[in-house]
Amino acid sequence: MKRGVWLIGFMVLAVWAGVAGPEKVSLLYMTAGDINMLALAQNVLGPMFSERYPEVDLRTVHTGPGDAGSQLIFEKLRAEKLAGKPVWDVDVAMVHQVFMSWAMAEGDLLLQYAQDLETWQYVTSPHAKYALGVPVEGYVMPMFHSQVAIAYNPKYVPEPPRSYTELVEWVKAHPGKFGYNGIKGGMSGVAFVVGWVYWKTGKYEKYAITGPYEESEIASWEPIFKELKEFNKYVTITGGNVGTLDALNRGEIWMGPVWVDMFYTFMLTGKMDPNIRLVLPEPGLPGQPMYFVIPKKAKNIEWAKKFVEFVTSPEIQGKVIVEMYNWYPGIDGSYVKDYVSPEAYARLYRDITPEELRTKGLSFALAKYHAAILEAYEKWVIGG
Amino acid sequence: MLPFLRLMRNGLLAAKARLRGGASKLLPFLLLLPALAFILVLYVYPLFRSIWGSFSIGAQSLSLANYSKAWALYKKDIIFTIIVAILGTILSIVFGMILACYIRLSISRTSHFVNFISRLVIFFPYVIVGQMMRSFLAPHGLLNVILANLGIVNLDNPIQFFNIRGLLLGFLWKEAPFVSFLTLSTLQVIDNSYLEAARSVGAKTRHIILYILIPMVKPAVAMAAVLVFCTIISTFTLPYMLVTESPTMVTVDIAHRVTYFRDYGVANALGVCLYVLAAPMAVYYLRRTVREEIYGY
Repeated sequence: MKRGVWLIGFMVLAVWAGVAGPEKVSLLYMTAGDINMLALAQNVLGPMFSERYPEVDLRTVHTGPGDAGSQLIFEKLRAEKLAGKPVWDVDVAMVHQVFMSWAMAEGDLLLQYAQDLETWQYVTSPHAKYALGVPVEGYVMPMFHSQVAIAYNPKYVPEPPRSYTELVEWVKAHPGKFGYNGIKGGMSGVAFVVGWVYWKTGKYEKYAITGPYEESEIASWEPIFKELKEFNKYVTITGGNVGTLDALNRGEIWMGPVWVDMFYTFMLTGKMDPNIRLVLPEPGLPGQPMYFVIPKKAKNIEWAKKFVEFVTSPEIQGKVIVEMYNWYPGIDGSYVKDYVSPEAYARLYRDITPEELRTKGLSFALAKYHAAILEAYEKWVIGG
Repeated sequence: MLPFLRLMRNGLLAAKARLRGGASKLLPFLLLLPALAFILVLYVYPLFRSIWGSFSIGAQSLSLANYSKAWALYKKDIIFTIIVAILGTILSIVFGMILACYIRLSISRTSHFVNFISRLVIFFPYVIVGQMMRSFLAPHGLLNVILANLGIVNLDNPIQFFNIRGLLLGFLWKEAPFVSFLTLSTLQVIDNSYLEAARSVGAKTRHIILYILIPMVKPAVAMAAVLVFCTIISTFTLPYMLVTESPTMVTVDIAHRVTYFRDYGVANALGVCLYVLAAPMAVYYLRRTVREEIYGY
């Protein structure tokens, strides 16, 4: 009996000693995006960061793909603000552009931190200043840039269309062989529709950069969307971003809009026919960065900054963002080149040159125009 | 509602009869409280909030604008959802009953195996079913390739399944075993002597199924139909993975409104449409269970 008591005593002591050991900082990182964003944080960035700073442990929470993922992060931060908590749970978050329009409108959610970082000097992207027309300078650090392009199978399409005009002609000549995922199944389809509006209206500057938002514009889009409805009759609608990639790989479609990074990742993992190539037709297609943000009352602000600095350093941008994940770097590409193997660099810029990316890599539309485009599509293309 | 009140009163009287005394009058309510609070907070409150939300736009309340927008943009999808739910339920019941009767009547090893496999399916979440169907039913997917090898289908013009056909197949695949699972337990308790008696006067298997087994398990089948119908109208992952464009099911539109527009008003209005669809089923289900509680049949 007595021995039992001693034993329990020792066990309690041992557990207590374990708990009271040198305390590790756990940095809570909340990320939106596809499942690859979770893998990136858990399997790559977290371990690398802990290797450099053993006293920190990166805890990742994944909120899911698309705007919905960012929406959850927004709701979490907003709830913490409204609850009046002095210290918030999330230390650092990874969000889409649209998050910034919500967060800046809500106000008092985010810390202006980017200028404090060592790596701020490498950031040249216009996306670091404006997100969908909203000024965000200092509140965000782009981790990477993602671009939508048209993937095509050279076996069936020896001469890919170089503009939307040529694309429409090609599609009418080859019914069912162009596929995209509409607007409810992921952003590559949305990007194609937004590009369609830029092409038909020629008002990219107004819709995506300068504004202002004028509701009267929307009604004038009806013929544009009626043409898209007609175009859709010759098109295969696929099941999501991955649906388009799968259909390309199986040869069901010969052409379709895809995210460049997903496309190369599929290719590297053997899920995509290696002969398939990319083209960015005139006047271009939208792409988007994903941003690091730090909540205003984060618990570990200094560590959060260190983490963002770490990921936006030329070394990590080259080795992880470009080499492993096939994204375009968040910082200026020229600083990254030394850290990337020539093959990876060539692969990323083979079909779409940096020059093309500068001129034809567009932004998504301002939040209100963006919503209007989606709703116009529902109303005039699939609705009723 | 009435039987429910009667049930409450009976409970109260019983409690009174057993425990005479001041504080003990409260006892039944106290015992009910945790469960009731749970239901109120997690089900009733969100239900009323979402109904309220469907009638309000911003600060302005009591407007039908959300409904008119929902109808203008998504009426095709609402009708499509009703069609899929009805057809899906009928198909699942028919195939589920065939499966259940086969398992009940056959004593072969195969039927044990079929029973085991079909029960396994019940534990698959819909997201897995969706992923399987996506590669199985794709234009160049397994099914079309098999049919092409048999010379039934031309791969240049394969059968398209990413529409109502694929949805129904997916729901059937998952719900038929569920129906069979629910009804089988009732089928198993039917005494073999009924079947033997019928056989001895010359009844064939189909007679036994149609005139003995099915009539005896009718309540269970009705319950299964209610549950299947409600599952189908509320499933999001399968339609989201198979048919994202129009027409699709209302759940996909709800997600779309919230994700891309943060428009809870129209999303709530669409949600209320689903409640209205599910309500008759819920009423039936409640009446049935209450009747069983009180009268035992």
